[in-house]
Amino acid sequence: MRPLTLTRLLVRCGILALILFAVVVVAMKLGAVQVSLYGLGKDLISVLLGRTSALSSDYGMIVLGIRLPRILLAIFVGASLSVAGVSFQALLRNPLADPYVLGVSSGAALGAIVALIIEGHLNLSPEMAGLITPVGAFVGAAITIAAVYLLGRRDGQIDSTTLLLGGIITASFLSAVIMFLMTTLSGNNLRGSAFWFMGDLSTPQPRSLQYFLSFGFIVAAGAIYTTASDLNLLLAGEKEAMHLGVDVPRVRIVVYIAASILTGLAVSVSGTIGYVGLLVPHVMRLIFGSDHRMLIPASALGGAIALVIADTLARTVTSPTDLPVGAMTAAAGAPLFIYLLRRRLS
Amino acid sequence: MQFGRGPATVIGCNAESQATLPRRRGWAYFAREYASSTRPASRRVFLLSNCSQPSRQGRFVHHIRSNSAHRAGFLAGALLLLGAWLPLGAQSFPPPPSVASPPPAMHEVVDEFGRNVRVPQIPARIVSLAPSLTETLYALGVQDRLVGDTDYCDYPAEAQKKTKVGGPINPNLEEIAALHPDIVLVTKEINRLETVRALDTLGIPTYATDAHTVDEILSSTQKLADLLGVPEAGKSLTGDLQARLVSLHTKLEGLPPSRVLFIVWTRPLISIGKNTFIADALRKADAASIVDSTQDWPQMNLEEVVRLQPDYLVFAAAHSESAARDFETLSSLPGWNILDAVRNRHFAVISEAVNRPAPRIVSAIEDLAHQLHPAAFLDFPTPEKPAAPVTPAPGAPNPPAAAPARVTRNVLQPFIQEFACAR
Repeated sequence: MRPLTLTRLLVRCGILALILFAVVVVAMKLGAVQVSLYGLGKDLISVLLGRTSALSSDYGMIVLGIRLPRILLAIFVGASLSVAGVSFQALLRNPLADPYVLGVSSGAALGAIVALIIEGHLNLSPEMAGLITPVGAFVGAAITIAAVYLLGRRDGQIDSTTLLLGGIITASFLSAVIMFLMTTLSGNNLRGSAFWFMGDLSTPQPRSLQYFLSFGFIVAAGAIYTTASDLNLLLAGEKEAMHLGVDVPRVRIVVYIAASILTGLAVSVSGTIGYVGLLVPHVMRLIFGSDHRMLIPASALGGAIALVIADTLARTVTSPTDLPVGAMTAAAGAPLFIYLLRRRLS
Repeated sequence: MQFGRGPATVIGCNAESQATLPRRRGWAYFAREYASSTRPASRRVFLLSNCSQPSRQGRFVHHIRSNSAHRAGFLAGALLLLGAWLPLGAQSFPPPPSVASPPPAMHEVVDEFGRNVRVPQIPARIVSLAPSLTETLYALGVQDRLVGDTDYCDYPAEAQKKTKVGGPINPNLEEIAALHPDIVLVTKEINRLETVRALDTLGIPTYATDAHTVDEILSSTQKLADLLGVPEAGKSLTGDLQARLVSLHTKLEGLPPSRVLFIVWTRPLISIGKNTFIADALRKADAASIVDSTQDWPQMNLEEVVRLQPDYLVFAAAHSESAARDFETLSSLPGWNILDAVRNRHFAVISEAVNRPAPRIVSAIEDLAHQLHPAAFLDFPTPEKPAAPVTPAPGAPNPPAAAPARVTRNVLQPFIQEFACAR
């Protein structure tokens, strides 16, 4: 493969961004309410020119008010989960690592539910109440990844098998705690949590939360990207990377915290969505190789594309009833994963 | 530097012979396995370390540590992304579009959530997000103004022909917005707060009802009638229902309440808590639920049910045959056949209307009262007699104190019967 240059990086990212744009346009057209491409284009142009008053009311309300925020949410969640997945895979040097398998998603879900319960007792203002769930989800994610990391350590090195088993066990333990909370507390806040467990993007988020999320994503993903070359070296092993001048503890801390933030944010708005964080990095690695300077932005864009497609299917397959998007990603992801696995073995 | 298709060596550690890589080092070991794989592309799938040319190691390390250009590129991309997000986000919630240009007379009402809702004096386009609300609208005679309801709105049958907006928990917001409703009706019972918040953001007013007793169902119906500009229809409807409840109450007065188990679900056994309107509806029919739980839908332990020995099992079903089938299945199960009510076939089937906080619940209450207390209605012709030939003697409901002896006998009896049959 040819060396990775800045031009090549930007060209590839540009191609992915174009694909993402095309997918977004198609996703904006499809839905329970029919919208013509022409009308969509006209409205988009008037939005870009800042003339919102020229919008037809259906388009303004349905496409821009409902569909677009949901697509943006899918972009953000898909990108977050994929970047978290690729960094966990690199840091733990395990191809199976992803927020879902490692139990981080369950930890974030538990954190979010505990935050919801606390919120019910605190009587906060609506803005604060909107932010308490992401914070709770982040704390849950961070505690879980720390616990799983400690479980997976042996003689100072990460042991793949132990780590994964630790993650799976932690996830099922946390699910039990969540089930316990859900059956003992039948508060109104918890309604629909079962739906939420399958991953759900249908709930629009308040504006303040959208800014909070995009800001958090840029900071966390940027932090991970600054360690991209260190992650390349870390693939050889922690000791080897240290010999090559990588400040391993620092990288580890940065990546753990950033990946926990990404997972926590994604889970707090969408519930637990599996397979995106696991599969997208593998597919991107297949296409672009395993240089993290390329892989991280490619995974972010690829994850966004994948989740927008999955969510569009979830919206349209049984329209007007929504399917949980987690069901779509699992239905598409599990066979793809098996395929990649079998291909590798043959 | 190069990220080659070359041999799958491990970055930066070519000094170490592959053959001597420590076995326990998970990742490196993993990588070594791939070296023997023949397909370069597929090899990379599960492989994180598949790069570097051995001869360039010195420069490689130097190069890889000084790639600020790439970082700058990423940051530029990130800023672009953020830039793209912000204007779109800023535009994504336009102020509620001017749908009706001559603004109709608006008024403000307080819903049962305590929120102030601004709606037109006479809302012309109504979307209902709960089957009970759809039923109430039909009972109030305003079905022509109902423009959309949920997949589960099946009563009356015409309600199924209305435009569907999805389920009560996950309605399709696009579909609702496209209907341009003046008001969306929700219930605290089955709808989600998130749905209400989302509709708020879209500038669509919502009105929430929240009834926990039969009386609240009636007052809630009246408030809904006021909201929709048909207060007289509400008065005549609720007045009629109230009169029926009062006449039922006078008939049942003085009778000891039957102790019943209301069965929502058999596997697992789900009943109702004491704070639900269903429990209140049972009380109106002179029946007391044996379940004393503050949860709305408690999962019951069969042992506890056997200890409490309900006089009757109450099923709510669309078809009485399906409930009868349920009952036959239950009576063949171990544990269930210990129950006196099961062995004596003391069960009542009422319309599923009891599950919905709508006017029809009064009919379900009357039906249940007829089945549980037929003696109270003897002067009136009752078409269907309950399955049980013997009504429990009023003076002798099963006292829990007598439980030990009874249970022993009950435990043995089915075995004895079975044994007899086998012979």
